[in-house]
Order: sequence, then C-alpha cells, then structure tokens
Amino acid sequence: MNDKIGAMKSRSAQLLLTIVCFVLGLLLVAQFRTQRMAGGYILSASSADQLIIISSLVENNARLREEMEALEGQLDEYQQTTGRAVLEGLVEELNKVRIINGLVEVSGAGVEVSIDGSIGVLDLQDLINELRNAGAEALTINGERLTLYSVIASPEDGVMTINGTQFSRPYVLQAIGDPETMETALLRSGGLIATLEHNYEGLAVSVIRRDRMVLPVYEGTIEFVYASRVE
Amino acid sequence: MPGFEHESGFLTINRLEAEQGELKENIGRVREQLDEYRRELAANTEMLREINAELERQKMMAGLLAVEGPGVLVTLDDSSIRSAAADSNDFLIHEYDLRDVVNLLWLAGSEAIAVNDERIVATTSIYCVGSTVMVNDTRLSPPYLIQAVGNSVVQEDVLRNPGYLREIKQRAELYGVQFKVNRIGTLTLPAYKGGFPIHYAQLGD
Repeated sequence: MNDKIGAMKSRSAQLLLTIVCFVLGLLLVAQFRTQRMAGGYILSASSADQLIIISSLVENNARLREEMEALEGQLDEYQQTTGRAVLEGLVEELNKVRIINGLVEVSGAGVEVSIDGSIGVLDLQDLINELRNAGAEALTINGERLTLYSVIASPEDGVMTINGTQFSRPYVLQAIGDPETMETALLRSGGLIATLEHNYEGLAVSVIRRDRMVLPVYEGTIEFVYASRVE
Repeated sequence: MPGFEHESGFLTINRLEAEQGELKENIGRVREQLDEYRRELAANTEMLREINAELERQKMMAGLLAVEGPGVLVTLDDSSIRSAAADSNDFLIHEYDLRDVVNLLWLAGSEAIAVNDERIVATTSIYCVGSTVMVNDTRLSPPYLIQAVGNSVVQEDVLRNPGYLREIKQRAELYGVQFKVNRIGTLTLPAYKGGFPIHYAQLGD
C-alpha cells in the first residue's frame, strides 16, 4: 500500500517535472538552437537540457522527413515527365516518316522485279503504282530511291531519267514490303505483268522474292518554294 | 533525478541523431538524383525541340501537313455525251488518266497534290475496283478535281504540251470527256489523314 502511494507520488512528481521541463524547454529552444551540440555537452547536460535537445531533434527530424517526402514527390514527378517516353515516341514517328520520304537507308524483305524490253515511262509508272498498291514501303528503280516527288521522265526517245539520273534497260525495281502480297499482285492472271507481256513481244520479266535487300537513301533535297504550311 | 532517466534521454538523443543523420543522407541522395533528372530533362527538352522541328520538316515533305500556295486546278470528268454505238470507255475518265495527270504534275515541279481532297503521298496508289476509282483506299467519284501547288505557269505549260496526255486530250476532243486546266492564286490542300504502315522496312542495313 505504501509502495503504491509512493509510486503514485513519484509518478505525479515525474509528470509535474515533465510539464515544467516541457514549458522550460519551449522557452529555451530558440536559445538552444544557436548553440553547438558537442558530444560532451550532451553527456553532461541536465535532464531539462536533454528534453530541449530531444524536442529540438524530434522537431528537426519531422522537418527533414517532410523535406524528404517533398523531394521524393518531385522525383516521382520527374521520373514520369523526363520526356523519355515522349522522346522515344517522337523518334519512332520521325524514323517512320523518314523511311516514307526515302530520306534514310532501309533494309528488309521484298521483291525484285527485272524487266528487259522496250517498255515505256507510263508502264514503269504503272508498275510502281501496282507495287505501292500492294504495300511497298520503299522502292528503287535501277538503284535510285523513289520519293513522292520522283517521276520518270523521258527527255529523248529511249532515254529515261529518275531523280535526274539517267537509266536504261534492263529495268530493275526493288520494293520492300510483304513479298507474297507484292508477288501475287504482280503475277495474277490479267495483272500488270501479264498485260505488259501481252503488249510487248519478247519481254523478259522476272519477279524474285528477297529475304533482305538494302535500299539506298535519296541523295537529292526536297524543298518548298510555292507551298507553305497552313497555320 | 534518477540516473537511468538521464541515460534514457541520452539514448533517445542518440537514436534521434542517428535518424537525423540518415534522413540528411537520404535527402542528399535524392537531391543528387533530382539534379540528374533536371539535367536530363533539360537535355531532353533541347532534343525534343530539335526532333520536333525535324519531324515537322519531314511531315511537310510526306504530305502530313495541310498546305497552301499558288498552282493549278485540273478538272477531269466523264463525257455528258452518251452513245450506245461507241465504246463507253472512250467517254469515261479512268484511274490511269488520273495517274498520268498526277505524274505529269510531279514532272512539272508540283510541291503538293490532292485529288478530290485526298492528298497524294508516297504510299498512294490510284487504282480502280470495277468502275470506281480509289485513292488512298478511298472511293472517289467524278468530277475529279486535282489541285497541285507549284509554279502555275510551268504546270500549265506542261499540261498543255501536246506531247503529254495525248490520249485524254484526244478523248476530250472526240468524245467530250472534260479536261480543264485553271491557274489558281491560292490553293488549299488538306493533310493526308491516313497512316503509313511500316512492317518490313527497317532503318539502315
């Protein structure tokens, strides 16, 4: 019983001391903050001082944790918006358009069409149209890469030019795309090759599927003098 | 004051200080990481700007942007004359007529071409299914209005050159198919709206 009362007394005394120390601590925090915390100081510090140190540390650590949370939040944000994904998407889009424009070397499967005979410019253009219709992604005629703006011209009889470069028979067209689709389109009965063979006697035509061809880049430049972008 | 309380306070301080040290270390590490990300973001932003500019340039060439400028409007239409006796093909505009006019317009230095508002691009084919003309897998019906931005004087000269489009011109004369060329001060051509499916071609060798 006495022990109990003694313990209670001691507890209320501790509580009182704690309250006093806390108030004292609050009053002294400002002053304490300007002081350096030497190791020896802590060891020799009074309980009141210790409480001040503890409350200061608790407060400081809470602020540090807050700062840490804010920084981690920023980090999360940065990781999502470094633009790496956007950048990758853009590069992919750019490469696709460059392939379409013929402004980059490409490789892939496709067909190689060789024609030896006195066919005309319009026949070759029909052949190109047929290959594009069958999904050709990149084309060359006698090694010259075709762009949207490439046209076959015939400044003199029998002389043909593409991209300003002269070429002559045999005509070799390379097309990257689905080999089967392109081959089928060209060779179907009543198709373009059949028509050409019908129109030109002794025409030598071969359509060969290729697993892999390398088509060169268009060497010229494409510039706009008359067309401007609609803003 | 009992000694153990003194010691417990000391331990608490030690623990809190250790925690503080750890927090500070972590904050330093995250700040470094953030700096690294900021540098990367700056570099990426610069790269984004460059890639975007290049992409716009390439899209212009590919026909993926609406354009305007001077040029010609070529009108092709079936004949209004109906003759049971003659070959009806002579009275109609065919897909190969459109193809020949488009190719000739490129030859005349055109910078952008559209047929009935379907922009001609590198993957475009002009073909027919039965008697229906398809451009970019879109059905077109006559009259066919071909707009081409370019030097309209050169374009008109080439189109009217008797050496070109002989067949169309002959059918215009004999069977009444329409072939008209008008120089226009400002044409507006829409952008190509389709996709460029690339499944086989890969960059480089």
